[in-house]
Amino acid sequence: MMSSVPSSDKKSKLLVYSIEECPVDGQKTKRAFQVGDYVTKDGAKCTKCGNQTRVSLVFAESSRPSG
Amino acid sequence: MSLISTIALQVPFDSSSLVTLVWVGFFMLSFIYGTRIQSYFALNDIGRGLNKLKVMKDKSRKEAIDYLVNVGKSPGDPTQRVDQFLDYVTIMPVDIDPQGLVGKIDHVVTTDNDRVRQEVSKLVSQTNPVTVSISENLLEVATSLNMIHKIVRHFYLLGKKTNSYFTLIQLQMLMPMIIQEADALLNAVDSFKVGQPVGDGIGPVVVSKYMVGKEKRVVAKDTVMAISEYKGRKLYMLKADGPMAYVGQPGVAIRKVVEEMGVKPSAIIMIDAALKLEGEKTGEIAEGVGAAIGGIGVEKFQIEEVATHNKVPLYAILVKQSILEAITVMRKEIAEASEKVVVVLNRLIEEKTKEGDDVLVAGIGNTLGVAQ
Ligand SMILES: [Zn+2]
Repeated sequence: MMSSVPSSDKKSKLLVYSIEECPVDGQKTKRAFQVGDYVTKDGAKCTKCGNQTRVSLVFAESSRPSG
Repeated sequence: MSLISTIALQVPFDSSSLVTLVWVGFFMLSFIYGTRIQSYFALNDIGRGLNKLKVMKDKSRKEAIDYLVNVGKSPGDPTQRVDQFLDYVTIMPVDIDPQGLVGKIDHVVTTDNDRVRQEVSKLVSQTNPVTVSISENLLEVATSLNMIHKIVRHFYLLGKKTNSYFTLIQLQMLMPMIIQEADALLNAVDSFKVGQPVGDGIGPVVVSKYMVGKEKRVVAKDTVMAISEYKGRKLYMLKADGPMAYVGQPGVAIRKVVEEMGVKPSAIIMIDAALKLEGEKTGEIAEGVGAAIGGIGVEKFQIEEVATHNKVPLYAILVKQSILEAITVMRKEIAEASEKVVVVLNRLIEEKTKEGDDVLVAGIGNTLGVAQ
């Protein structure tokens, strides 16, 4: 008669990143997510060619180094 | 001494027969009171789960109120209004005469959605549509958790009152799944609050790649379309209006594009998140035919009708994820699947249509944090 209610999972902390992508040469920069970020939002200038980058993805990764 | 007297002397003090007696007693007890004992354990178990649900429900309510006050700059104390909101009911139309039922459901659901937005805009003094849409979603999460808690509590108390073994055992069996779902809902609050895209937003993410920089037009409530091009095909790209936490009305939008704007697509391709089975990998892509859209069924019905009536084949591209992943911040595996979806989509367009054709592509899902 074991308890069938699971104890809350040990949560591995999720870190959220935004990817800024240059529409010209595809250069990608990964940085921490900031409140107000959204996909297609204008990012910083491209480090390679100086063009305007755009946020192409926002995603979360587990903080545990995954193999 | 004779053999007989030896036995007669031994029997009353035989310890093994005492053990047997205890065993028989135990058997009788569990035979007669077995279900009662199990009911007792089930009640304890459910009671613990119920407490957990109560904590979750209270937390989501508090989070919603905090958001309304701190971010939405609520003009007064929203607590009372929120509590009324949580108990608001939507009465589904009668289904004993199914003729025209979908239209009726659509009407009720649309009325409810309008009501929610109206009410929320009264609760916040902010007019930023992102804040308003996030408030709507937070209140919906709190409403769902409130409902789950109420229903579980109902069956718990009913089972306790009537001493119904089967009610309790069934509830105990469902409890882990219920807690899991409630946990997913509560976790969704964290992503919603800060406007992060959720796993369900993978369809909109893919479609936004084609829409960015193009001219957008509103084709249905909260739904936008842009025209793109791929290898000689004209692509009509549809998604909910981001970065608000909208799902839009893809059913209405597709009907409008096909029947009112006179577009004759050679294919309708829908991109959506799909619930994975245990054991399947997150971010796996599946292809199929049919309308890839969840929810109550109204949108699905509308899309199928338009497609059938105009004889347009419906194709689906699905990205697998769990319920938790679908409503919380988008996982890396899902985000990375977007590039693979683009490859599949392009291949599908090349295979199923010819140059000069029109193709309708709809990114289905909550478009929070995904503009276009
Ligand atoms: Zn560049």
